[in-house]
Amino acid sequence: MTTLLYTHSACLEHDAGYGHPECAARLAAILKALKTPPFSALQWRDAPLASIDQLTRIHAPAHVERILSRIPKQGHYAIDGDTVVSPQSGEAALRAAGAVCAAVDAVIEGAAHNAFCAIRPPGHHAEPNQSMGFCLFGNAAIGAAHARAVHGLERVAVVDFDVHHGNGTQAAFERDPAYLYISTHQAYIYPGTGRRSERGVGNIVNIPLPANSGAAELQEVWRQEIEPALAAFKPELLLVSAGFDAHYLDPLAELNFTEDDYAWMTQQLLAIAREHCQGRVVSMLEGGYNLQALAASTAAHVSALMEDGASG
Amino acid sequence: MYEFLKYQVRDAMTAEPIVISAKAKLREAEELFETHDFNGVPVVDDQWRLLGILTKFDVLKAFSLDTQALVPRYEDIMEQPVETVMTRDPVSVRPDLPLSRLLQKLVDTRTKSLPVVENGRLAGIIAREDVLKALRRAAIKHEVPAHESPRP
Repeated sequence: MTTLLYTHSACLEHDAGYGHPECAARLAAILKALKTPPFSALQWRDAPLASIDQLTRIHAPAHVERILSRIPKQGHYAIDGDTVVSPQSGEAALRAAGAVCAAVDAVIEGAAHNAFCAIRPPGHHAEPNQSMGFCLFGNAAIGAAHARAVHGLERVAVVDFDVHHGNGTQAAFERDPAYLYISTHQAYIYPGTGRRSERGVGNIVNIPLPANSGAAELQEVWRQEIEPALAAFKPELLLVSAGFDAHYLDPLAELNFTEDDYAWMTQQLLAIAREHCQGRVVSMLEGGYNLQALAASTAAHVSALMEDGASG
Repeated sequence: MYEFLKYQVRDAMTAEPIVISAKAKLREAEELFETHDFNGVPVVDDQWRLLGILTKFDVLKAFSLDTQALVPRYEDIMEQPVETVMTRDPVSVRPDLPLSRLLQKLVDTRTKSLPVVENGRLAGIIAREDVLKALRRAAIKHEVPAHESPRP
């Protein structure tokens, strides 16, 4: 069994403007790392375009139409101060969501053990009716809804370890107990949601961490909260919103995770997936803005996925 | 501000700053404060290992009322070695710390400057003024307006 890597050149062409931290160089750094010999067993796949039907399982049709209609023929268009689109952004966003749906198909159909989607723009801030926070469409939520609609899964979990709270994924799931959303994030930073009291219909688990939290705090909440929540839910598929901006070198936040912490978290997630869903894990890139830390952390994450694939 | 996110402490710090030894007298430190416009001076050994930091606040503290004398004696206090009043085991930062995180640390701790340590040796010092300067530099350096089209 194998680990698949979904990506697409269009994801390198989405340009949020000069100097923007969510830049193509992020993805280029990751792909460069994943082309080195330790990753030669990775099976690369071109991400297909998501269909409008796939998007509208989560997003209002009028919203999808509005966002795609604002993609400029040239130059840039600012959806908000953080979220800027360029001529290739529409295709990139459709490839990003399409990557996750295709990866879900492959893993559920048994064509692969697990998969990582090296995509941008990211997705977890995109709400059903609002693109924001560098995100256009909710890649994780779209993938989860796809697994439900096409493969008939009854329980899909998303674990989000990006340093920011995934308000978009939460908004998509908060009324539907078929989904479980678990997020660790730094407290009191963008987007301001993700308080413990936000519990949906008992299917949202928010774990805000104070600034400067590192491995010790992470392992504590993992054992006390994340493992029990996943064990009780018994997911049939595990999606991962893999943002690497909780790294100690990241400029946009103040958590202190290391490459080793990302490897450790990935191994914990895989152990849970082996127990409940034959190891089915589909992970996707969200944030991470120090290129070196991002490439090294993603490599640690994908390496753990591949070890599991090799033994599975 | 995008440019600022790329800066690390090493890009804005004063490298090889003026330092003082633990055995130096407070009088010498006071002269340093008088001559240079800084708020604190790192205290190092002869290998440039950071032993502490001496700030103006530490010197003021040496003059606060205590049980030793009814009235603090200026000359006596100024003859004391730096190590008696310096702040030991000071908070320090790494040169590769993102400057945005350093800014946050200065705000959260209301600190004016922090020593920068690399491989156990003092590499520099970074102060509020350095961060302000870096913010200004980042703003001037580019900023092509992202909003080429009107907002919705």
